Amino acid sequence: MSESPIDVVLVDDHLMFRAGVRASLDDGVRVVGEADDVDAAVTLVRALQPPVVVLDVHLPGGMGGGGAEVISACADLLQGTRFLALSVSDAAEDVVAVIRAGARGYVTKAITGPDLSDAVRRVAGGDAVFSPRLAGFVLDAFGAAAGDVAIADDELDRLSAREREVMRLIARGYSYREVASELFISIKTVETHVSAVLRKLQLSSRHELTRWAAARRLL
Amino acid sequence: MSTDQSPPRAVRLPLRRPSRGRWVGGVCAGLALHLGVSVVVVRAVLVLLLPFAGAGALLYVWFWVTVPAGDPMQAAAAERPAALSRLAPRLTDPGRRIPLTDIGLGLVLLGGAALLVAVRAGVQVDYTWVIPTLILVVGAALAWSQLDSVQRGRFLSHAGGRTPVSVLRLAGGIALVGVGLLLLLGQDAPLESLVRSASAALAVLVGAALVLAPWWLRLVNELGDERAARARESERADIAAHLHDSVLQTLALVRARADQPDEVARLARAQERELRAWLYDDRPTPGTSLAAELREVVAEVEDAHAVPVETVVVGDTVPDAATSALLQATREALLNAVRHGRPPVSLYLEVGDGTAEVFVRDRGEGFDLDAVPDDRFGVRESILGRVRRRGGTASVTSRPDRGTEVHLCLPVASGAEAAAGTAGEHVGTDVEEEAPR
Repeated sequence: MSESPIDVVLVDDHLMFRAGVRASLDDGVRVVGEADDVDAAVTLVRALQPPVVVLDVHLPGGMGGGGAEVISACADLLQGTRFLALSVSDAAEDVVAVIRAGARGYVTKAITGPDLSDAVRRVAGGDAVFSPRLAGFVLDAFGAAAGDVAIADDELDRLSAREREVMRLIARGYSYREVASELFISIKTVETHVSAVLRKLQLSSRHELTRWAAARRLL
Repeated sequence: MSTDQSPPRAVRLPLRRPSRGRWVGGVCAGLALHLGVSVVVVRAVLVLLLPFAGAGALLYVWFWVTVPAGDPMQAAAAERPAALSRLAPRLTDPGRRIPLTDIGLGLVLLGGAALLVAVRAGVQVDYTWVIPTLILVVGAALAWSQLDSVQRGRFLSHAGGRTPVSVLRLAGGIALVGVGLLLLLGQDAPLESLVRSASAALAVLVGAALVLAPWWLRLVNELGDERAARARESERADIAAHLHDSVLQTLALVRARADQPDEVARLARAQERELRAWLYDDRPTPGTSLAAELREVVAEVEDAHAVPVETVVVGDTVPDAATSALLQATREALLNAVRHGRPPVSLYLEVGDGTAEVFVRDRGEGFDLDAVPDDRFGVRESILGRVRRRGGTASVTSRPDRGTEVHLCLPVASGAEAAAGTAGEHVGTDVEEEAPR
């Protein structure tokens, strides 16, 4: 990339992991600050206001809310600063908590350096980053597997048929590019659908969302 | 037959007053979550009950006082046996709090102001009623307020509220209520009628019961909570010990085989999976979850071939003979993918309305199904045939630039039917002969 690198603040409570992430990021991404707990993260993000914050879901400090708490505390910056959740936990409740707090994407810590750099760029560009697992959570949470599909596009509580298709393909391991060619639509359209789904996940007041999280936990 | 296995959706949350979505005390929100109905319905019902002697308001206050505040989801999680729960602490939801004390104070001041204005305007206020009633309300509020503070200061007042603060509260409450009742009842010249003194005594008793009830409720609650917490702690200690042992053993193995990268990667991956499951996942009761069985299959394949499989599961059902066949076919497809394809390998299971679908995808060169000779049983028999014999559909799509994808789709009994119908007989009932490869 010829453009200037994207500034990133890295929030994780493990020094080793932060060092690993910093080393694996490519030239297009520059780490301008690091924090290791909720309070330090909030202070740092408020001071630097970077375009992207990469943060762990589980963080010490604060009121025990972890990454979601950091995002909530910086809610007024969400226009300029985007959050990408990076987690070793695959638990649905953790992931959904940070997304609903305002994160623009979720990737697991097993992600490779180039993929993480791509994810940072995509988040910085305003797009949403969906890993297969997050897509699976979304399908589960919205009851899309049971054929509960929205008729109107602006329905917040259900996915449209197209959004469901896109989510299913992502859950099956398709990249955005592959989804686009599979559905004969442009990558831009795929990104639009994904962003719409992210918005629904954040804004929906569907009470099954909470019920679903509980059911997953209690199964 | 096992009819006690409830399907995932039928889980009932314990009754708590959540901080999220509350208007006043969180009673309606909590009831809605507990009963699984919309919060609007609960609120409407309570409002509709208002004309009947204020039953709605009374119910609300009753629930407000007796139901502990807290996140129903967290309460449900806390009720699970520790051996099946995850170890990592759950994220707490900071939530928004309504400054009830401030609002209450404001209301009192407003009431006082309104009273003064009314007196100024010439309204006759019967102070013999107003002041005793006020004292009564304050006394009762003081006594009942300790219920809520229990949740906050659990460590301050340990067993049963014998700390100075709560004793003071109790004594003050009783004194105030007693004074209020005496003033109320003795405001006229003392009548020596038997009825009157009897009713006075009764009123005092009721007042005392009113004051003592929260204390008693709290005693009962705390005792149970504490017992459960202690049991949970010891279970947790056991799990932590087990965890540390397994990690240490793996580390020793890794060190011993440091010169075999494949073996080290395999060990690390297996340990990672186990640790992740212990830390972050709640484990289902054995034999009730197709998703859990699928994960076991994935673990087996990963361990045998040292290739990670990205697994996504949507929905779940109770395993039966049909899903067992689906699992077998999935296993073969996975083995095929890790042996002949190229990583990353993706696995997607979706249990929907009456069907279960599996996609297994790898990024290899792919192959032409028609070019596979008829005597090669691998794909044709053990994957496709197995599913088709159960009335499902199966296909293999292979494109050079996009790898190979196996798609299996099988009708299954979903949700409650599966739980009530076939759950008890699924173990080892896959009567199909193993296809040779």
